[in-house]
Amino acid sequence: MKNIQSELPIFYETAHAELASALEMLAACKGTDTPKQALGYFMHAKDEYMHAKCFFKMLSQRGIKVSLEKAREFRFTPPSLIIKGYISNKGFLIDTMKLKDFIAFVYTNELLAKSSFENILNLVGSDTDEGKIISSIMMDELRHHGMAKKYFLKNYPALQPWQLVMYRFRETLQNKGRKLYDANLKFLDKILTPLYKGMAFVAGNMARKLNLNEFKREGKNLMEISSKSIL
Amino acid sequence: MNLKEKGKILWKFHLNLSFKVSSNFKMFIGVSGYNHESAAALVDKNGVLIDYYREESLSRIKGDKSFPRRAISKLLKSNNLQIKDIERVAFYERPLSAFLHIVKEASLNMPRSLSLLVHQFRNFNRSSVSCYLDFAKEFKGLETKLIYSDHHLSHSLTALSYSNSKKDVCSVVVDGFGDRSTASISQIVNPSEINELWECPYPVSLGLFYSSITDYLGFSINEGEYKVMGLASFGDSKSKSAKLVRGLMDWDSTSNKIISDMSYFDYHLSTSNSFNSKLEDLLGPARNPFVQLIPGESDFQRCADIARGAQDLTIYLLQKIFTHAHKITRSRRFLFSGGVSMNSASIDSLAQLPFIDEIIIPPSPGDAGCAIGAAFYSYIKSNSYIDLKISKPSLFPSLKEIRNDEFLTEQIIFNQFSILEKDEDDAFLKAAELISAGEVIGTVLSRSETGPRALGNRSLLCDGKNKDAVKKLNTVIKNRSPFRPTAPAMRYKIAKKYYRLRPEIYDCYQSMSATCQCLKDNVSLKFPTTHVDGTARIQIVENNSSLDKLLSILEPMGVEILANSSLNVSGDPNSFDLVDGLMVCSRTKLRYLLTDLGLLKRKT
Repeated sequence: MKNIQSELPIFYETAHAELASALEMLAACKGTDTPKQALGYFMHAKDEYMHAKCFFKMLSQRGIKVSLEKAREFRFTPPSLIIKGYISNKGFLIDTMKLKDFIAFVYTNELLAKSSFENILNLVGSDTDEGKIISSIMMDELRHHGMAKKYFLKNYPALQPWQLVMYRFRETLQNKGRKLYDANLKFLDKILTPLYKGMAFVAGNMARKLNLNEFKREGKNLMEISSKSIL
Repeated sequence: MNLKEKGKILWKFHLNLSFKVSSNFKMFIGVSGYNHESAAALVDKNGVLIDYYREESLSRIKGDKSFPRRAISKLLKSNNLQIKDIERVAFYERPLSAFLHIVKEASLNMPRSLSLLVHQFRNFNRSSVSCYLDFAKEFKGLETKLIYSDHHLSHSLTALSYSNSKKDVCSVVVDGFGDRSTASISQIVNPSEINELWECPYPVSLGLFYSSITDYLGFSINEGEYKVMGLASFGDSKSKSAKLVRGLMDWDSTSNKIISDMSYFDYHLSTSNSFNSKLEDLLGPARNPFVQLIPGESDFQRCADIARGAQDLTIYLLQKIFTHAHKITRSRRFLFSGGVSMNSASIDSLAQLPFIDEIIIPPSPGDAGCAIGAAFYSYIKSNSYIDLKISKPSLFPSLKEIRNDEFLTEQIIFNQFSILEKDEDDAFLKAAELISAGEVIGTVLSRSETGPRALGNRSLLCDGKNKDAVKKLNTVIKNRSPFRPTAPAMRYKIAKKYYRLRPEIYDCYQSMSATCQCLKDNVSLKFPTTHVDGTARIQIVENNSSLDKLLSILEPMGVEILANSSLNVSGDPNSFDLVDGLMVCSRTKLRYLLTDLGLLKRKT
């Protein structure tokens, strides 16, 4: 049971990440200018959707076995893709990045995803049914990485191999940075929660005194209430 | 003519021209978001809804409630508008009011509610209070044109726009929580005079009660309510569980108020729990969301009975609210909106109330549809009463994609699909032949639907009387819970043969907003689209719509009813454009897709 509980967050987060990738690729497919690229992104999105489906299934198989409280904690809701930061609230990557950077991002992240799946593979065992699925997903990621590399070499022939390494290094660093930031945020959250609660308690005591009767609209013509008021 | 006179004439011409240009582009935007699904709507100077987008259609994140940046951008881009062309933008609720009501209620229940208070304060900048800043950041200049409507007023105006009569009607709004109340009754004298006569103050809420039961039954809030409604048909109203749920809320006839035992619920105290252990003590343990609910298996009947109790209570309270609405307004014509009005299984009961002549439910009665009401609010606020002309919006309001679908999907179609028929008439004929032979086809035709229900343009269709085809649609393609029914779509003359139609809610049948009973001892009771309780959520197709055209070909072939479900994979929003449709086809076992480019067949 303990093992399953510790696995839940891994599958939960991975499923989020794969679904977010699918959405990013679908957005790229709709945002591109050439039919050929649209096909590439389309096929990539299709793969990522399939990966997400696999991880959701693995999550679900574990969710059945844990306590109700834990199961409710790991129930997926689509808006959590934004809340958890898998999709930026500023927009899709294709809308916010230059095409070259976007491809570099795909090129690097597919490889990083593959290495993180290696950890999951160790967790479930490579000879299990789940292991076989994960192995096939890893192959997909490698293929996506290769396609991004091919695109790079074709469209940016002047690009030197060391520049690709630099891109990869930069993305890896940024990824590690994001993880560190997230871990720090969680740590800070733990430390500061009592303070937040204290402040909320004080603010709550003040809010108690609020008289909201003014907001009552019974008998009023709603069209005559000031349209400038946020109250 | 000297130079000065020429200059004067030119200046007059310029003034005339600029006046014409600016008056031509007098547009109004309505926006909803932050709490439930976000959306943006565009109304022109003639009171016509000319465009509408839900954010989830564009972000592909179901129930996307973030600031509708994509939707507003698309409105502006698709209609070739600039910020200066927009006269006013209305936000669908009063943000500070919504924020303070939640904080005030939570503050009365400290320390239990401390986590909710912390959440509210820490996310202040992500709540609707920040909509002004979001406008300023994303669409500089629009923030100066921002005005605010009341949440329930936005609902009322949305519903009013879909009504043929724009005055002397009663508006009933029932939802989870607005910006101050959870249900209201207003008398609409005319679009400029809408008097609120009754309200149900937060936290007592029929909508949040239903969502809590949804949560208890293991379904996601704001998404699984349909499932509870479908599950209820299997339940027994006389069962112990149903009776216990039925007792959780009531109507106080003396004070004309909804009363609720709040000690069973936590939705006003917590961010993560909508109910508490007391509800579990009463009804038994909540359902694990990961365990599939299958008819006949253990715990199914208990869950169905609980759903039945929630449904019975909803119908009972709605009848009480409508009866009270009639009592205080004397009106016989009603507009019904808010999230609870999506409870299509309760509408037939409401139509049977003796004082009802008409109930209008907009096709998107939830918060996403409020953007339409907000857009009309800004339109009404900018015009004098005598100039008001509010046109009834179409069920398919989004503009067609400006981007050339044919160009963008050229390679996808070439690689993954084959075009069976390119000509529109031939494609429809071939699609009809396939349906008649028991196939399931998807559609991506013309404009997409306003609301959450697919009405034929973004649908999965098959012969509604063919059990195998309906089963394939439900289980093989959509992977839906086995207890959820599929809606039948047909023309009016066919519907009359099989179902007990109520003229009071005829419009609701067009937008699939109401269920109806099969006629007594009628063959329709055996249709695979008929639910276990002898009801069906029928769609009477609109004249000249895509489905109307398809049925006109199918009827001579002996197919008069289509099973109609949304073109999506479970958990995703309905398809919006051709790429989405192709993706659904590629991810599922769906083989045929009827599109504006012709009939496509997925390559195996």
